[in-house]
Amino acid sequence: MIPTLQSYLLLGSGIFCLGLFAALSRRNAVGLLVGIELMANGVNLNLVAFSRFTGLVDYQVFALFSIALTVAEVVVGLAIVILIFRHHRSIDTDLVSEFEG
Amino acid sequence: MNALNLACMALFVPVIVAGLMWLVPPLRTRGRIGAYLSVLAALASTCSALVLFGMQRAAPNTVILDAQTHWLTREGRSMADVGFYLDGVSTSMLVVVCVVALLVQIFSLGYMADEPPAAFGRYFTYHSLFLFSMAGLVVAPNLLQLFMCWELVGLASYLLIGFYFKKPSAARAAVKAFWITKFADMGLLLGIIILYTQTGSFDWGPEAIATLTASGMATTVGLLLFLAIMGKSAQFPLHLWLPDAMEGPTPVSALLHAATMVAAGVYLGVRAMPVFAASEDTLFVMAHIGGFTALFAACVAVVQTDIKKVLAYSTCSQLGYMVAALGTGEIVGGYFHLTTHAYFKALLFLAAGSIIHGVHSNQLQHMGGLFSKMKITAITFIIGALALAGFPGTAGFFSKDLILEQLLHAELYFPYACGMIAAFLTAFYMGRVVFLAFFGTPSAAAEEAHESDLAMTIPLLVLAVLSLGIGYFGTSLAGLYGAEYHFHLSPTGLAASALGLLGIVMSWLAFGRSPGLNLSAFEPIGNLIRYGATDRVFKAAYERILLGASAILAWIDRYIIDGLMNWSAYITVIGGRELRGSQTGRIMDYVYFLVFGLLVLSASGWIGR
Repeated sequence: MIPTLQSYLLLGSGIFCLGLFAALSRRNAVGLLVGIELMANGVNLNLVAFSRFTGLVDYQVFALFSIALTVAEVVVGLAIVILIFRHHRSIDTDLVSEFEG
Repeated sequence: MNALNLACMALFVPVIVAGLMWLVPPLRTRGRIGAYLSVLAALASTCSALVLFGMQRAAPNTVILDAQTHWLTREGRSMADVGFYLDGVSTSMLVVVCVVALLVQIFSLGYMADEPPAAFGRYFTYHSLFLFSMAGLVVAPNLLQLFMCWELVGLASYLLIGFYFKKPSAARAAVKAFWITKFADMGLLLGIIILYTQTGSFDWGPEAIATLTASGMATTVGLLLFLAIMGKSAQFPLHLWLPDAMEGPTPVSALLHAATMVAAGVYLGVRAMPVFAASEDTLFVMAHIGGFTALFAACVAVVQTDIKKVLAYSTCSQLGYMVAALGTGEIVGGYFHLTTHAYFKALLFLAAGSIIHGVHSNQLQHMGGLFSKMKITAITFIIGALALAGFPGTAGFFSKDLILEQLLHAELYFPYACGMIAAFLTAFYMGRVVFLAFFGTPSAAAEEAHESDLAMTIPLLVLAVLSLGIGYFGTSLAGLYGAEYHFHLSPTGLAASALGLLGIVMSWLAFGRSPGLNLSAFEPIGNLIRYGATDRVFKAAYERILLGASAILAWIDRYIIDGLMNWSAYITVIGGRELRGSQTGRIMDYVYFLVFGLLVLSASGWIGR
């Protein structure tokens, strides 16, 4: 069976939803970051699938940009997580509520 | 020396002295040195003015000096000229100003001798500044220079009224004089601006006025300039500042608030007569306001108890005569009265100063029986009073009769009637002052009084001679600026003199005889005048109208404008307080909001598809 565009899109949105679920449900900050990473990669998969099925390279360029952005975001995110850990001796996101109004 | 050098000397020597005294404090703080410098400067000015007057006499009805320099040059064209313009009018006015200023300064050497040296020096600095400003005003070739000097004399007046600035009433009087004249000066400034926009120059000559008349603005400009005259020359209802200005030292009242500065308004009327004469309406207003002021102020003068206040209201009244005379469109009557009045009113004020120096009080009831104590002062004061009352043969007789005749000739019956009644009242109130101050039983203070020293009596004698003699030179003075005046006895003159004599007799009956005429029947009228004359009426109007309107505006500001501001601030605070609960500070909640927002966006995109 030759995979169609739909199956790639379904897979991409499945990965996105898994990532969203992880981001919403995990109270561990690293888990949160991993969830966000999954969401981004679900989107990247969509882009690459579009590129494959339309023959345009534009989508691949977008995917490359997205990857670079994701890497940068993870760098900043992990740095924040490390600082939170130093401060609270924990990375439970519920503990971090200094900005409460 | 040519005319230009002389004019420069008359104008600049006083200002150089004033500047020196201002810049070199020892001159001022040591008192005497500065005072002598100032008197010498006034002497130099007077000498040059007299020489200029001699040149004018040799060539009557010509312009002996017209030297102007360009000022504010722009694109090769001068916006305004400043300099000297000496003709028959300005030369004789310059003489009046310099002579009176010199005599007043000499008098002040005696009168102010008890002041601390620093105050003494300050006083003479102001006097030199005043002499410069007033001379600059007199020789001004156009309205712009006149305006600058007009404001400078206003400044000198403010400084000298507030000379005893530690006294709250003096400080208040100075500010009051400043504000009222400043209000009136707006008229002068606006008038000058309109004149410039219409004619492109600050000139008051016939060509400029022809252009002005063609543009239809002559009445507007005339009335605006007249507003300035009303302020400076204390015409009703802007006369309020002049009685209060008596807070200044008495020689200042003599120089600024009787002889010269208040006459600057009349002088403007004389100089800018083409502007006023271009409009019948302006002349009509001038004649009527002047006439009413003459009568009103004379009524008020009758009931004053302070000798300086009597003289102040009398000045108002006499200025009213001059303004009314200008309302006929001819300058000769008003200008002649200005000249004579300057001498005899300065004399009266200086003599009053001599009395005050003797008894240390302004109140008439603290005087009495001074004739035997202060012979020179008394005789000179009586000469001044007779001149003011228009006693036949004195200076006031000639000039006042000329004014009344002019008013009758111009068929201005209301000012004429006012002038006639005021002639009677003038004699009456001056008689009252003379009888109360110099005759009758002396008060305790008057027992101690003695004649003032030479520095004070010599100016009195000089002014007394001038007050007696100046009236006989009316014809030649008028000839200097090409006007016709020949004294002749007319029914008007006889009637005015008779009224004056009647006033003197009445005052003798009322105040001179030992059982005086019973005046209690007139007491209610006196009280009414006293009530109306003081600021109370104006104060009430001020409180009711101005403060009432201010209160309404304040309410609107406080409750509507500020209310809007406060209401919006309140809404913001309440909104913030209610919404702060949404900021939990927990990361997960923000992620929920994010996802919720994403869902809303997707849903709206789905619906709007």
